[in-house]
Amino acid sequence: MILKKRYFSWCVILIIVAASAGAVAQDRPAADVRDAKERDLIAVLQSNAPTGEKAITCKQLAIYGTEQSVPTLAPLLADKELASWARIALEAIPGPAADAALRNALGKLQGRLLVGVINSIGVRRDVQAVDALVQKLNDANAGVASAAAVALGHIGGEQATRALSQSLADAPAGVRSAVAEGCILCAEWFLAHEKAAEAVKLYDTIRKADVPDQRHLEAIRGAILARQSAGVPLLIEQLRSQDKERLGIGLRTARELGGRDVTEALAVELARLTPDRRPLLLLALADRSDSAVLPTVHKAAQSGPKDLRITAINILIRLGDVSCVPVLLEAATENDAKLEQEATEALVRLPGKDVDADLLARLPQARGKLQQVLIELAGQRQIGEALPAIASSLHDTDAGIRGAAVETIGIIGQDQQTADLVKLLQETNNSKERPGIEKALLSISGRCGVRCIPHLRPLTQSRDSELHMIGLHALAIIGGPDALAAVKSAIKSAEPPVQDEAVRILSTWPNNWPGDAEAGQALLMLATSAEKMPHQVLGLRGYLRHIRGNKKLSNEQKVANIEDVRSHIKRPEEQRQAIAVLAEAPSAGALELLTRLAEDPAVAEEAYLAMVRIAGQDIRGVSKDQRRQVLTTVAEKSMNDGTKQRARKTLRGVR
Amino acid sequence: MRKERVGLNRRRFLKTAVQAGACLAMPQVIPAAALGRDGSVAPSERIILGAIGIGNRGRYVLGCFLREPDLHCIAVCDVRGDNRQRAKNQVDAQNGDKDCATYVDFRELLARDDIDAVLIATGPNWHATAATMAAKAGKDVYCEKPCSKNIAQSLKLADIFRRTARVFQAGTQRRSLPNFAYAIELARTGKLGPLETLHAHPGGLGTKMSGWLPAEPEPPREQVDWDMYLGPAAWRPYTRKLMNAFHFEKGGGLVGGGCLEWGSHCVDLCQLANDADDTAPVEYEPVNGQLHARYANGVKLVMRNDGWLPLGSCPVRFEGKTGWVETGDDAEFGASSQSLLLRRGTKIPGYPADFHVRDFLDCVKTRALTRANADAACWAHIACHAANIALFLDRKVRYDPKKNEFIDDVHANRLRSEALREPWRI
Repeated sequence: MILKKRYFSWCVILIIVAASAGAVAQDRPAADVRDAKERDLIAVLQSNAPTGEKAITCKQLAIYGTEQSVPTLAPLLADKELASWARIALEAIPGPAADAALRNALGKLQGRLLVGVINSIGVRRDVQAVDALVQKLNDANAGVASAAAVALGHIGGEQATRALSQSLADAPAGVRSAVAEGCILCAEWFLAHEKAAEAVKLYDTIRKADVPDQRHLEAIRGAILARQSAGVPLLIEQLRSQDKERLGIGLRTARELGGRDVTEALAVELARLTPDRRPLLLLALADRSDSAVLPTVHKAAQSGPKDLRITAINILIRLGDVSCVPVLLEAATENDAKLEQEATEALVRLPGKDVDADLLARLPQARGKLQQVLIELAGQRQIGEALPAIASSLHDTDAGIRGAAVETIGIIGQDQQTADLVKLLQETNNSKERPGIEKALLSISGRCGVRCIPHLRPLTQSRDSELHMIGLHALAIIGGPDALAAVKSAIKSAEPPVQDEAVRILSTWPNNWPGDAEAGQALLMLATSAEKMPHQVLGLRGYLRHIRGNKKLSNEQKVANIEDVRSHIKRPEEQRQAIAVLAEAPSAGALELLTRLAEDPAVAEEAYLAMVRIAGQDIRGVSKDQRRQVLTTVAEKSMNDGTKQRARKTLRGVR
Repeated sequence: MRKERVGLNRRRFLKTAVQAGACLAMPQVIPAAALGRDGSVAPSERIILGAIGIGNRGRYVLGCFLREPDLHCIAVCDVRGDNRQRAKNQVDAQNGDKDCATYVDFRELLARDDIDAVLIATGPNWHATAATMAAKAGKDVYCEKPCSKNIAQSLKLADIFRRTARVFQAGTQRRSLPNFAYAIELARTGKLGPLETLHAHPGGLGTKMSGWLPAEPEPPREQVDWDMYLGPAAWRPYTRKLMNAFHFEKGGGLVGGGCLEWGSHCVDLCQLANDADDTAPVEYEPVNGQLHARYANGVKLVMRNDGWLPLGSCPVRFEGKTGWVETGDDAEFGASSQSLLLRRGTKIPGYPADFHVRDFLDCVKTRALTRANADAACWAHIACHAANIALFLDRKVRYDPKKNEFIDDVHANRLRSEALREPWRI
């Protein structure tokens, strides 16, 4: 009964919520509607409603309450269960009435409830509460005094600052941290009111006070930033400090304190710091995003300790410009794997078309390692204009340069470069290099498609069977009638390896690309009349796969196609493939053919499962009686419990 | 909302951090040797960790911390006895001793001078309050998401971490994963053309309150410290159901919800893609089960409830004038052109937090901003909170990111903040 009542009350509140949101949704400015809503919510608070309902009502009043609600909310500040809910409303309701209610509560409450009210006054920044809060600074309860100190900080101003400064010296140890926090907030108030000198004074007072070190650190930060450029000596003092926390504040403020003169001073300091700190300051300098830092980073990237160099090189990725290219190229061509890797990565990521142009201009004159790096960069940065120069490097005497050129052409080459690669293949006897060239060739073929076919003819007409097969691979990627014709022709090749490869390629020929439908006929020929048994098997498998994926064929056509090669489907592997096709071609013919396939114990269960799948559907030309008969047969004959159950379940659904 | 008081060039500082974040796919900016982690780490160079709120998620992230050679955990804290013991066992097993201290009250853990950093993986109710208290206690903080319950908390979080100069990393680890970072880099470096529309899939778009349930007998404090569990949330009696921190007080009482749970990840990624780590969309409107937002630079942000990408959970899609890219938690990509994916790098599915933890630890040493620093987290969360407010009010709202207030909208503005239960404050 109690639960029912609670449920009812919740519904009432939720209706009020919904109505409130709805009214707002319609943007009805009707004050009378809102007034009535507020009256309803106040009535809940004044009623004997359960505490939980009153709590949620307070939350509603945080949105919809006005000063009319304040007198009802104020007494709840002394209620241990509802005080926090009441403050949710009172903190949000605008106007002096809520401020007054919270101030009035200061003299009536103790302990946690009082702390809560003080916190809310701080959030509302009630200037009129300063006198009362100053008194609370001396409260015997450290929690109350601390809350008052922080609230005064949030309010800010001269009076709050005076009280907090005084308290900083004589407050109990347990309160001093909060007092210092209040002082720091007051210092920020001064800064916001363009009184930097007062802020600096306050920060310096806190720096010297007997307060927790974290407050010192905050004061140091504030003192540096408030002084602006004049804060540099204090900043550098931190950077040189033996104390880890002060070094940390130095590194943070080195990022925050603006100004070109600050950048320059920090750059000078970089050289003076101990080596272990230089990468840390360099990173901080980089975060300043001041172009004046670039020469310093350049210098660090060029020479010196390796850690600092790598740090600098990485920084150049985000700060660098075209002027960094020489430095990075130098590092990328040194005989140091780590430096080479980092510098190359930086060169790849360095933004700007002018960087592309610079790298491009260097390519014709480059030799050796630099040439190789530039070629690789052209690929990674996709600088298409570099292709002629790179193509001329395909025949370089240096294997590293040749390899880089091949790989890069694979990445950015166009159909014209197909001819270059084909020519290179013809000239290359090195079996280690051919796979790389083939990879590049396939990559371009996939990207440029039929435009590559004329360039591939020298391969497909080659007497070198390896080259011929590479050509076939490229054609297989391109697809289409011309490519298919070339593969079909290769099946008749006198070279057995070429013949085998052509059959393998044909057996996996895509069947859903435009212009590739003809592959089905070629596969059927292979399946039924190839001279070699492996070719027949591959042809049959390819044909079945082709039928299965050919969306242009109707279910009946698919069944008919399988019937055409039924006499060749002898092994369980191909029978299962045929069953898979039939399972997806629901028709009377498929059921009939599956029934016959189920007679072979090797594939009977697969056939039964397919029959259940088909018989579960309404199929044109198949009566429900026939479907039931199929399902009954499966339920009786299948040896698989799962299939039996499925058949019975499906049977029950066929009515 | 209070304006920032210290006269810093915030925009410049933030933008720098953002640029650093955009280069995630690259190797560490600072060599491991320079940070003292390329071999055995001297005890004096180790970062000493305390872990607070160590349930299932907490123990997973703690495991990521414990794998780092320059990290040593010495204390764990949880209001639940069983969680405390499991976490202690995990730490002791790693350390090879029985010395990991346990606490019920996290303030005792924060009071220890020998702890440098804390992992906070409590429920969302505690995140902002505990994180800011930790910062004030001089600790660097890795905090699970959602990091705040409302807009005001988001701003205070950023404000306090700025003032204290402590390092903060929101637990939005996808910022540190190569596939998301790569997609973001494409968006930010103009590879997609001028950005037009960003898609995020927060899931569970809708608002709900965790409310007040009928009282149940309260367990002994050593099993569950209910008062500490409630923490800054308004008081209500013990109920076992509310002990599921995943659903308790997410986004405050009335307007929390799914947008925060996933939005703090996927909306956050959209923020980064749009170079918006220092701002948030200016308009939010519920449209046919979606939430459409718009940034001041004209880019549209679509938050979707329904799935449409086959790329795993937390998918995002960035559409520019000349191309698009999408990715998700399975680390696969979809793109308008394969050439966009040329340098996509290593595939790392399963959204591990290891990289994010590493970034945090490195920044503890360098004092740089983390990838998911307090400012970035603040604005991503504001976007989610504002979206929730639009959903709750079921209408369009307009937000001014400079003044941090909704424009001419009394009701929406009142939903920006919520009083904390005594004695807690931020």
